[in-house]
Amino acid sequence: MEISRRDFIKLVGGVSGAIAAGSYGLNQIIDIPEKLVEKLKNGHRIESWKSTICGLCPGGCGIRVRLINDVPVGLKGNQYYPINQGGMCPTGHAALQQLYNPDRVKGPLKRIGLQKSGKWKSISWDDALSTISKKLIELRKDGKSHQTVFLGYDEHGLMKEHISRFMKAYGSPNYFQTSHAQNNSIPFIFTQGHGLRPTYDILNTKLILSFGANFLEEGFSPIYYTKLFSHFKEAAKEREAKFIYIDSRMSLSGANADRWIPIMPGTFGALALGIAFVLIREELFDKEFIKNHSFGFEDWKDNSGNKHLGFKNLVLSDYYPEKVSSITNVPSKTILEIARDLGNIRPSLVLGDQGAVNNTNGTYTQMAIHSLNALLGNFEKEGGLYFIDKPSYDKFPPVKEDSIAKIGNQRIPVSKLTDGFSPIFDFSFEIFTKNILSDQPYPIEVLFIKGNPLFQSLYQHELAEAIKKIPLVISFDSFINETNEYANYILPDHTFLEKWDESSNIPTVGFNHFGIQQPVVEPLFDTRHTGDVLIDIAKRINGTVALAFPFESYKDEIHNVVENIYKSGEGAIASEGVEGVWLEYLQQRGWQIGRYASLDEFWNLLLEKGGWWNPIKKKKLSSEIFKTPSGKFEFYSQILKDKLDSLNKNAEKNKSTKETESLLVKLNFSAKGDTIFLPHHENVLYEDNFPLILITYQLLTNRNGESSNLPLMQEMFGYTMRQYWDSWVEINPVIAAEKGITDGNWVWIESSVGTIKARAKLFPGIIPSAVGIPFGLGHTSYGRYAKGFGVNPTSIIKNHYDLISGLPALHATKVKISLAT
Amino acid sequence: MSKEIKQNFGPDEVLYRPIYETGKGFYITVSILIAIYFWSLYMYFTQVRSGLGVTGMNQPVTWGFYIVNFVFFIGISHAGTLISAILRLSKAEWRRPITRMAEVITAIVLAIGGLHPILDLGRPDRMLNLVSAGRLQSPLLWDVTSITAYFTASTVYLYLPMIPDIAKLRDRGGKLTWFYTFLAWGWQGTEKQKKILNKVINILMIMVIPIAISVHTVISYIFSMTLQPGWHSTIFGPYFVAGAIFSGIAALLIVMIAFRRAYHFENYLKEIHFKYLSTLLLIMSLLWFYFTFSEYLTGIFGSEPHEMHIILYKFTGPFAIFFWGMVVCNFIIPVILLGISRFRTIKGILVASISVVVGMWLERLIIVVPTLANPTMPLPAGIYFPSLVEWALFIGGIAVFILGFVLFSKFFPLISIWEIEEGRKEGIKEVEERIHSYLPNT
Amino acid sequence: MPKWAMVIDLDKCTGCGDCMASCKIENNIAIVSPEEASEGRVMFWMDMITVYEGDYPNIRIKRYPKPCFHCDNPPCVKVCPVHATYKNKEGLVGQIYDRCIGCRYCMAGCPFTSKVFNWYEPVWPEEFRNCFNPDVSLRNVGVVEKCSFCAHRLIRVRENADIEDREIRDGEYFPACAESCPTNAIFFGDIENKESKVYKLSQSSRAYRIKENLGVEPKVIYLSERK
Ligand SMILES: Nc1nc2c(c(=O)[nH]1)N[C@H]1C(S)=C(S)[C@@H](COP(=O)(O)OP(=O)(O)OC[C@H]3O[C@@H](n4cnc5c(=O)[nH]c(N)nc54)[C@H](O)[C@@H]3O)O[C@H]1N2
Ligand SMILES: Nc1nc2c(c(=O)[nH]1)N[C@H]1C(S)=C(S)[C@@H](COP(=O)(O)OP(=O)(O)OC[C@H]3O[C@@H](n4cnc5c(=O)[nH]c(N)nc54)[C@H](O)[C@@H]3O)O[C@H]1N2
Ligand code: SF4
Ligand code: SF4
Ligand code: SF4
Ligand code: SF4
Ligand code: SF4
Ligand SMILES: [Mo]
Repeated sequence: MEISRRDFIKLVGGVSGAIAAGSYGLNQIIDIPEKLVEKLKNGHRIESWKSTICGLCPGGCGIRVRLINDVPVGLKGNQYYPINQGGMCPTGHAALQQLYNPDRVKGPLKRIGLQKSGKWKSISWDDALSTISKKLIELRKDGKSHQTVFLGYDEHGLMKEHISRFMKAYGSPNYFQTSHAQNNSIPFIFTQGHGLRPTYDILNTKLILSFGANFLEEGFSPIYYTKLFSHFKEAAKEREAKFIYIDSRMSLSGANADRWIPIMPGTFGALALGIAFVLIREELFDKEFIKNHSFGFEDWKDNSGNKHLGFKNLVLSDYYPEKVSSITNVPSKTILEIARDLGNIRPSLVLGDQGAVNNTNGTYTQMAIHSLNALLGNFEKEGGLYFIDKPSYDKFPPVKEDSIAKIGNQRIPVSKLTDGFSPIFDFSFEIFTKNILSDQPYPIEVLFIKGNPLFQSLYQHELAEAIKKIPLVISFDSFINETNEYANYILPDHTFLEKWDESSNIPTVGFNHFGIQQPVVEPLFDTRHTGDVLIDIAKRINGTVALAFPFESYKDEIHNVVENIYKSGEGAIASEGVEGVWLEYLQQRGWQIGRYASLDEFWNLLLEKGGWWNPIKKKKLSSEIFKTPSGKFEFYSQILKDKLDSLNKNAEKNKSTKETESLLVKLNFSAKGDTIFLPHHENVLYEDNFPLILITYQLLTNRNGESSNLPLMQEMFGYTMRQYWDSWVEINPVIAAEKGITDGNWVWIESSVGTIKARAKLFPGIIPSAVGIPFGLGHTSYGRYAKGFGVNPTSIIKNHYDLISGLPALHATKVKISLAT
Repeated sequence: MSKEIKQNFGPDEVLYRPIYETGKGFYITVSILIAIYFWSLYMYFTQVRSGLGVTGMNQPVTWGFYIVNFVFFIGISHAGTLISAILRLSKAEWRRPITRMAEVITAIVLAIGGLHPILDLGRPDRMLNLVSAGRLQSPLLWDVTSITAYFTASTVYLYLPMIPDIAKLRDRGGKLTWFYTFLAWGWQGTEKQKKILNKVINILMIMVIPIAISVHTVISYIFSMTLQPGWHSTIFGPYFVAGAIFSGIAALLIVMIAFRRAYHFENYLKEIHFKYLSTLLLIMSLLWFYFTFSEYLTGIFGSEPHEMHIILYKFTGPFAIFFWGMVVCNFIIPVILLGISRFRTIKGILVASISVVVGMWLERLIIVVPTLANPTMPLPAGIYFPSLVEWALFIGGIAVFILGFVLFSKFFPLISIWEIEEGRKEGIKEVEERIHSYLPNT
Repeated sequence: MPKWAMVIDLDKCTGCGDCMASCKIENNIAIVSPEEASEGRVMFWMDMITVYEGDYPNIRIKRYPKPCFHCDNPPCVKVCPVHATYKNKEGLVGQIYDRCIGCRYCMAGCPFTSKVFNWYEPVWPEEFRNCFNPDVSLRNVGVVEKCSFCAHRLIRVRENADIEDREIRDGEYFPACAESCPTNAIFFGDIENKESKVYKLSQSSRAYRIKENLGVEPKVIYLSERK
């Protein structure tokens, strides 16, 4: 029998769906003996695709993984998934390097040597879990359940819920996340009354004014914002839209701005208020919004008749452009220009993040920046900002606490100060560490840990001591890193391509969504899902703890959530045509679906397409947006006042702010009186006389230092600087010339904490009074690709925190540089 | 063995002496050279085993020492056959004692230089693709062709005039008679044989000139056929040829001075030879300057940004030291030493020649590296540091050259004995006749 | 005969580097050791060019991704002594890895520094051998490589079109970088076809080619307001 090449391909293609690379090799084949046809047909290289969600950062991009004979060989963005619509960031492409990474922990490990000795012994899951649960049962028996800490990382949604349930049922108030989701929403809570991060309508705005918000790189979902921004940019000329970026350093977002305005680190709040000054003076603000939906703009009287300072007069008296210019180094003329642009070009919107708020005064700064949106009346307006409520599809029956748990849960969390005034944050490494080291309020017996704070956090040295002190440390990571080198057990999780999970409602994304992570391949090693491990431990502890998990497995929990979504009848499975026109069409028609015949069909489609979303946003009323005591946007934050008052137990209500002032003095704040509760500028206290400010930043290629074990990402780390596998320090050419430093020289960067060495990159996109080092490299552990490359700038950053929110102040350290020979 | 043969073979005995008398110095020199050779061979094997990664080349500096030395060595090779052919053609009587040495330089250096592109190959195992899949449109293939032709022509051109001398060695008896018998090809010195030999030499010498010129022209085409600034130049052909002859003469002078001293050839290589050759060197130095000046002036005058960037890289940038070093070596030193008669001693000439050889090597470096190191795309400048392997192969190349020469001198006379004899017999008469032919009739 | 060309819209591109990464993975491009990388032997078929314009504080950064331009009059092809780099009828400039003798003449001849060389044999941990793209061959030590416009994808697309007895449709053949770009800044198609998106974009007033004066006729066209 003679088969033409075309026939052959038809045949094979028809039988097995698609033949992948097969066809490549078949080019030369003209005649194929009959007996081979069968072999080729059923033989090698059957291609298939599976949808999942990229797990390399919480950005939540949908991806499709290519399998040849069920072996993952490649991946691409999921065209249908609404967050990324087929796009990806560089990191996502390295996913298979995580899956197949030679440094993975291949099964449960028990440390047999000293801490950090690197001596481990493989043990069975059963042995590990029975030892651990024995200890946990013992603690409960002794009424010490609260002496267990779960230090999570960036888990959210279902996994966060899962861990919370475990801890609650077990009886410990000590579940924290080192990725401070709640803490960074504090300024929003103060002004809006809730911590939802706004979604920015970049698509429809005409002016984006960003205070250090590097949304293309460091945002929650960089690719979602890259997509939006590309549409913004594409239409920018026609719509006369522009993007102004204020930062001490030109980040990737800055490089894409129409104008970059360099500013002294730690003074963004002052600039925002300087802009507010012009908006108010020139009456460029939204008077209607201010009058009806804001509180504390004008001076006001409280119930007892005391006069209070309003935002307007604070700004008009303290933030005139010349003064702001001297604080920020931004020329008065520029301040006027930005303010007039902002006031005249409508709609315009204001973003603040990363560079602006990574400082000791971050909370006030974010409040000041957010106030500009209020002045512009931007809430729930096209081209402004809006809020996406998270529907609770993951509702589970409430956790039953037994008597032990009840007592345990009522203890003070180990993250709180015991001496009367804990500041406002839920968690801070500083206090957490100090408390553990001093056994306050009680000693810690067990630490569950996900993530790698010993690489990422400030306070590393002390934190290491604290972890050392804890008798039983259990890590869930898939790799050995700086932190779990101290653990007693490593119970390795699957990598994301091997497991069930979900990625839903990423903050700042403009619609509800639920992305499903499914195993595209059977686990390569003897690893287990942390969710399932917790269920297993709970079962071993038994009683109410076991009851906290009504499902057999974590996957079943996900299925339950999907069932709830299915039942809600809202939204749709992600499918083709998620872009503009189609979306409008759907919205006009009021998108109602109910097209799915059964839950099974819904589930299968979900797995096939990768996710579900609901693009319809309901317009909110002002009372729904603002949950403050006044029901309005609060320039004068009554929530902040209540918090501070409640911290100071001696304060009699409404008497005076003296007590609060003295509290703030302890926290190094200088504001007095009403200013404390208003957005204002606090000077950053540098404490030493080094000449340059150190600023750090995260790159798209390595967010939190987690991508360091992916060789592709190490190579691409500094692709914009042509610096591969290595750190660098960005120096303004003017300063470099003064110091006799040329591009590529090795330089020492010295702070009062330590000294590191990096190659100089002369970068005209950084202010002369600062030097910049990217965060992500400098691992001392974490596998062959990570260990020993570059430096970790965090190791020379002083232990400064935003004392209101507890977030690390990354730009509050001064350094000097010198040529290394 | 050499001691036994003490008979006097006439006035040119000193020319035979190196062949029959071997001192300790010879063995030491040869062993050192062989050691260096094996060392460089070993280094090359590390390169073959691991890949070109062992060199200092990279992106964008994709060519380094191998190509620099390729151009350099091939340039030196112009010493010989070309000069000797021109001298023969112009019937310059004073040529007689120097043609042989010049030709030997060519043959040896050409072999070494010709190997360099192979050293530079990422896949030397696929060298034969040049034959099986060769693309004649590629300047690299023009090179292969013309170098092969030049090598063939110049070895033949070296060998043929050696036949009468080989016959003399055969007739002397003693060592390696069988070898000389074989090579002498039945030479009896009959009139007919002489006539044929002369005819063949004459044909060859005319053929060899265009081939030699083509070789270095074509090498310059490797560069000038690209669109790269600093390379894409029309004068590269003659510029390279001139440079080649320049370095060739310098190399010849060095060799002459060295062997004159080592083998006591003072009686043959007289002041006059050095005077003529050094005048030639001086002229070439001026010519070199003219070319260099034209090359850079046109670049600077046009001020095309990329061209200018590379010129500045050479004038004031990282390559300034090499560039100005080259100007000093190729122009300042030779012009002073050769132009001022007080300095124009053998020593002075030696210094000038060494300076020119170094200078011409620098020129090759300056042509190859800066253009590659400064891509016209807005990319950072490339950096090139030759690795130990590259140095080893450079030093090895020089060692092989010296070794080749020393060994040659052990088997063959470095000065053409029969041509000297012929010169004594016929030269005077011939010169007289020739002079008459150009003087006005009386 | 189609003539494949790429258009990169710099007014959309943010310089995110995704195209570089997707290309590396798609084409099994070796990752050299860190020491090698710092010596200038890093291998990106898609590179990123950064240019600083102006002086502080009025500085602007211009970034653009740079693949091989698949010149229609390719200087690299002209110099190859063994026909190991060639231009095919559809304008793709290819490399024949098995024939290349590694003389690197084509690299010296490329005005755009588009080619890279395997200075050492690429090394991969055993584990990573699983995730190679089976459609693209691995290269060995001593050969030159560069962006292929993902020619292996064309082969598949052509086979599909052949089966269905039709021409390749506009937008059917696209390389990995274009597929993955989050701003959809990369367009790909047949520039001879007046109906194609690529042709239309190439006629835009924003369109330009790099170093047009050289006459090598790059088939990668950039679009930008600021040239
Ligand atoms: N290129 C690049 N990519 C990045 C980053 C980067 O710097 N560069 N950053 C990465 C990092 S570090 C992170 S952490 C992610 C951020 O992305 P995520 O980790 O996904 O966000 P989280 O901040 O952890 O918030 C998770 C969930 O908590 C909810 N939430 C917020 N406050 C509260 C609360 O008070 N109570 C309850 N119950 N829920 C709350 C939010 O609505 C959200 O659903 O983005 C990542 N992506
Ligand atoms: N004050 C302030 N709060 C923020 C933000 C901010 O920019 N400023 N960003 C918000 C967003 S978008 C996210 S995703 C999270 C991120 O910040 P977090 O979730 O709090 O922390 P991680 O991103 O997990 O990074 C852990 C640690 O990395 C160290 N690090 C070193 N260099 C850098 C750097 O250049 N950047 C960052 N972020 N960390 C560095 C810090 O010590 C930090 O504590 O925080 C959110 N909250
Ligand atoms: S932004 Fe990158 S790493 Fe994050 S989810 Fe998307 S593709 Fe993955
Ligand atoms: S992927 Fe797209 S946006 Fe990103 S750098 Fe490449 S072309 Fe530009
Ligand atoms: S860009 Fe360079 S490598 Fe690509 S075709 Fe043109 S000359 Fe050849
Ligand atoms: S390196 Fe290979 S492809 Fe390039 S010119 Fe030489 S043989 Fe041709
Ligand atoms: S076309 Fe293909 S080979 Fe070329 S840069 Fe894009 S992904 Fe890489
Ligand atoms: Mo984060």
